Amino acid sequence: MKSLHDFHPLVIFSYFFAVIGLTMFYMHPILLILSFTGATVTSFLLLKKSFLKSIKWLLPFMLVAAILNPLLIHEGETAILYVNEQPITVEAIVYGFAASVMLIAIIFWFSAFNAVMTSDKFLYLFTKVSPAVALLISLTMRLVPLFGHQIKKIMYAQRAIGMDPSSGSVWHRIKAGTRILSILISWALENAIETADSMKARGYGLKGRSTFSLFRFDRLDGIALSGIFILFIIQLLCSYFGWNEFYYYPTFSPIVWDGPMIFMTISYGILVSLPIFIEVLEAFKWRSLKSIN
Amino acid sequence: MSKKVISLIIFFVIIPIGILIGATLLEDGKYNLISMFVMVFSCIPFFLSFERRKPDAREVLIIAVMSAITVAGRAAFAFIPAFKPMTALVAITGFKLGPEAGFLTGAVSAVTSNILFGQGPWTPFQMFTLGILGYIAGLLGKTNWMESKISLLFYGIFSGIMYSMLMDIWTVLSLGNGFSWIVYGSKIITAIPFTITYMISNVIFLWLLTKPIGDKLERLKIKYGVMQTT
Amino acid sequence: MALIEINQLTFSYPLATKPTLKDISLEIEAGEFVVLCGTSGCGKSTLLKHLKRELTPHGQMSGTIHFNGVALQDLPQREAASQIGYVLQKPELQIVTDKVWHELSFGLENLGYDSMTIRRRVAEMASFFGIQTWFRKNTTDLSGGQKQLLNLASIMVMQPQLLILDEPTSQLDPIAASEFIATLQKLNKELGLTIVLVEHRLEEVYPIADRVIILDAGEIIANDTPIKAATRLRHVDAHHPMLLGLPTPLRVHHALKQSDETPLTIRDGRTWLEKHYEADHKQIQEAEPSGEVVLDVQDVWFRYDRHAEDLIRGLNFQLHQGEFLSIVGGNGTGKSTTLGLITGLLKPHRGKVTIFNKPLKKYAKKDLYQGMISMLPQDPTTLLVEKEAQLELAMMSKDQTAIDRVIDLLQIRHLLAQHPYDLSGGEQQKVALGKVLLKNPKILVLDEPTKGLDGESKQVLARILHDLQRQGTSILMVTHDVEFSAEHATSCAMFFDGEIVAKGTPAAFYSGNHFYTTATNRICRQLFEDVITTEQLIARCQSQQEVMTHV
Ligand SMILES: Nc1ncnc2c1ncn2[C@@H]1O[C@H](COP(=O)(O)OP(=O)(O)OP(=O)(O)O)[C@@H](O)[C@H]1O
Ligand SMILES: Nc1ncnc2c1ncn2[C@@H]1O[C@H](COP(=O)(O)OP(=O)(O)OP(=O)(O)O)[C@@H](O)[C@H]1O
Ligand SMILES: [Mg+2]
Ligand SMILES: [Mg+2]
Repeated sequence: MKSLHDFHPLVIFSYFFAVIGLTMFYMHPILLILSFTGATVTSFLLLKKSFLKSIKWLLPFMLVAAILNPLLIHEGETAILYVNEQPITVEAIVYGFAASVMLIAIIFWFSAFNAVMTSDKFLYLFTKVSPAVALLISLTMRLVPLFGHQIKKIMYAQRAIGMDPSSGSVWHRIKAGTRILSILISWALENAIETADSMKARGYGLKGRSTFSLFRFDRLDGIALSGIFILFIIQLLCSYFGWNEFYYYPTFSPIVWDGPMIFMTISYGILVSLPIFIEVLEAFKWRSLKSIN
Repeated sequence: MSKKVISLIIFFVIIPIGILIGATLLEDGKYNLISMFVMVFSCIPFFLSFERRKPDAREVLIIAVMSAITVAGRAAFAFIPAFKPMTALVAITGFKLGPEAGFLTGAVSAVTSNILFGQGPWTPFQMFTLGILGYIAGLLGKTNWMESKISLLFYGIFSGIMYSMLMDIWTVLSLGNGFSWIVYGSKIITAIPFTITYMISNVIFLWLLTKPIGDKLERLKIKYGVMQTT
Repeated sequence: MALIEINQLTFSYPLATKPTLKDISLEIEAGEFVVLCGTSGCGKSTLLKHLKRELTPHGQMSGTIHFNGVALQDLPQREAASQIGYVLQKPELQIVTDKVWHELSFGLENLGYDSMTIRRRVAEMASFFGIQTWFRKNTTDLSGGQKQLLNLASIMVMQPQLLILDEPTSQLDPIAASEFIATLQKLNKELGLTIVLVEHRLEEVYPIADRVIILDAGEIIANDTPIKAATRLRHVDAHHPMLLGLPTPLRVHHALKQSDETPLTIRDGRTWLEKHYEADHKQIQEAEPSGEVVLDVQDVWFRYDRHAEDLIRGLNFQLHQGEFLSIVGGNGTGKSTTLGLITGLLKPHRGKVTIFNKPLKKYAKKDLYQGMISMLPQDPTTLLVEKEAQLELAMMSKDQTAIDRVIDLLQIRHLLAQHPYDLSGGEQQKVALGKVLLKNPKILVLDEPTKGLDGESKQVLARILHDLQRQGTSILMVTHDVEFSAEHATSCAMFFDGEIVAKGTPAAFYSGNHFYTTATNRICRQLFEDVITTEQLIARCQSQQEVMTHV
């Protein structure tokens, strides 16, 4: 077994692509709740503390969405009150709530994605799509912290000869700030030529550039990828047959626990909880290894 | 010339048609998914043409530098919401180095800043929006209009509105109701303070930076003979 | 057949009135270690760039260059890229990608190797250079020495036949620099790699070179074994500025006019000295700094990140009026950070900095930086804003006579009309120093002011600093240049583990160190314990010669 982080970037990307895509697509309440739970637990397992910090603003957000939607949308049969002679309906409230659950699930899936998909994995995949642009991004990634550092140096250097950017009126500060930016840009552009020379000196621009990475696709990656693929296809088929249809307007469609519904729910449940299985198994393995030693 | 025509066609014909077809086929109106795909796909022709052209190392590096400065600029002004030099920097690159460089700088700075500060479903929107603003700036830069403060003012206002409206499409879609003009309209109204801040910051940064950065890029063109063909 | 054959190469930059390289002919054999030296601006970098096709500057060129018998311009692209490796001067700028492993594989990717080959070659080089432990790091997080090593390794994976290096050690501390040179020597000895190297710091590389080429205003004036090249240089011009840059044993031998074989290494120098002179126990008289305390640092602690470890731990020291204190220490130990703390740019989380008996915190910024304290930063380009060098000076002061005085002092009149980024590193350093001097600070802070300067420019700098000191300015300097520090500072200190661990007068300080000391002291410490500069050594030996001749 290996932890989520250790899977091949292609596996990680396919997984989140499938899950996020389906989450965006499904408005069925059962499926929404499954995805929401999966997303919450996964990002908690991956992010721990910073996840707990980020959930503070969620409740108010969900409430606002639940209130905003009925104020704007007046469809639905079950009116509970009238504002400006427009009905406020239960359906619209529930819809607003469901939509915010979906949005939060997406946000959580993305935060898990960001935790697992580090820059080198992302760039590895991008390299497959467009090597030249990937190199451009990689260069930019290298330059951003460099510039951050340099801009600090410039600010200090300027201050230490009495050219201070951090005092005076707002306008004065904006102007002084852009002067600093201007020094930075001079520095960056002039030095860029030297870095470009270093690229050319190492053969950049020759025909037949290859790409290298530290990632290897092993058997477990193969198993995981085919699993994800099968589960995704199942969901697509379910949509094709319309098993996941659910209407909020004019009023809620009924949820019937027949065969197709149960099948769909279980297979979706497996899909959204894959990372949880993987992380928990991994944790157990380490604990048992520890207890042996 | 033909390359440009093709990309113009892609932007102003194929993409809207794509959105329409997607919307009617998937009657439920899963605009959020469709629009994400559209955004991703509309970047591809630019990446492809960059790929095919086998750009020179210096050219690659200058675009990387401008993108990195754009990202750093976003981080530097993180404490004032919506007041960012990003659009202005991308536009200046477009003015001086042409539409393709403008698009790439916009798109690459959007991806990179999202790699650094976290990806979200808005990444493709930002890539496309900043990219297309750089592209338009590049087309404008070929005329001599962008030399005057007045036209910079107009471009600043225009790009502020464009940015806000394009990004608001995402905000609306993210609510999941599909696309609704009412919601979109209300979003645009609530976003007015932001839009105004975008416009003001664009104009200020364009006024302050176009000349100095332009001069530096010109100097580079002369001293090292880079990017003269675009 | 020689590996490199240059025939009557003449080159001028566009718009230049004189050629930068004049009628250069030379051959470099496979397996040679060649050192190229000369004063600043004599054309060293220009010549090196002609050996690497991809970097050859635009301009008017005549003459031919052959690599392995093939004219350089006819060399297939792939071969030109991989067979000739070039390490650029500034380590920071050579790095292209954001990960160490990617940087190592970058060249091989360009050459189109398959993943297996890249993996093997990268693994091998990473092991040779000891990169394993930081193989997966971000390139931004590396120290200066690590960056330079990475640059060398990422060239070496391409398995070049010829390795060219332009001032590779200019940013390194003395220990890292000598380790780097030792690595080069190992590559040369064990792999038979041909190396061509440009340096201003010759103390270490000069003795290990097979051949030394001395360039003067674009012409070769000497091309021979190290010893013969030095002799030749003296014959060309007995007061040639390059003589100041030669290694200590040579300079001492020349100065003392002995006629036997010239010593080259520290060890030979020591044997030679012991053969001719006798130990004495004279003490060099040095004055302890005595003036009023102008800067007082008490128990200062500092860290960049709240969650990181302290970088500065309990720093204590004082600077007196008219004192010239120089601080040496390893790369990344926190010297520049210390300068930030005492200039009030960074705030300590504990401890106190006092300037002229008033806590730093109590100063208004505009009083502090207008005449009280000013700093020349490590990177001079952080001060350069304008399109012309003269505007840089004009923005600092309205007083034209003051500006003229500084211009003459630094001898930079001929540079005034140029764009600051068209100047060489040493020239940028001078313009930036000019800006700082125009502030007339009572405390002058300098961060590595001698890097990239040739011997003569260093003497000009030293004269300026001595003048200021005489007028009562206190000077604080951080440097890797122990020779300069020993010769000109009035007190020296060592920075280690977040604080100053030793401070003393130059003789007392350097004679107590083993590695952080001058070449002179290493040569003569058995005989004259406290002698640390070449002048002192020469004087001491001359006094013995006199005694002997009088006897
Ligand atoms: N791109 C350029 N255009 C015009 N002149 C140049 C250019 N680059 C260098 N020069 C000039 O050519 C001369 C030789 O420069 P070069 O960089 O080769 O000197 P160097 O010996 O390497 O000096 P240093 O030791 O300071 O690095 C200098 O006078 C310099 O001003
Ligand atoms: N702004 C910053 N933020 C975080 N860390 C920093 C910053 N500046 C420097 N550091 C780190 O602090 C350490 C000390 O840096 P400093 O520049 O003071 O070293 P130094 O002694 O001057 O080295 P050198 O001899 O190479 O100039 C280094 O590890 C560096 O990476
Ligand atoms: Mg040079
Ligand atoms: Mg330093």
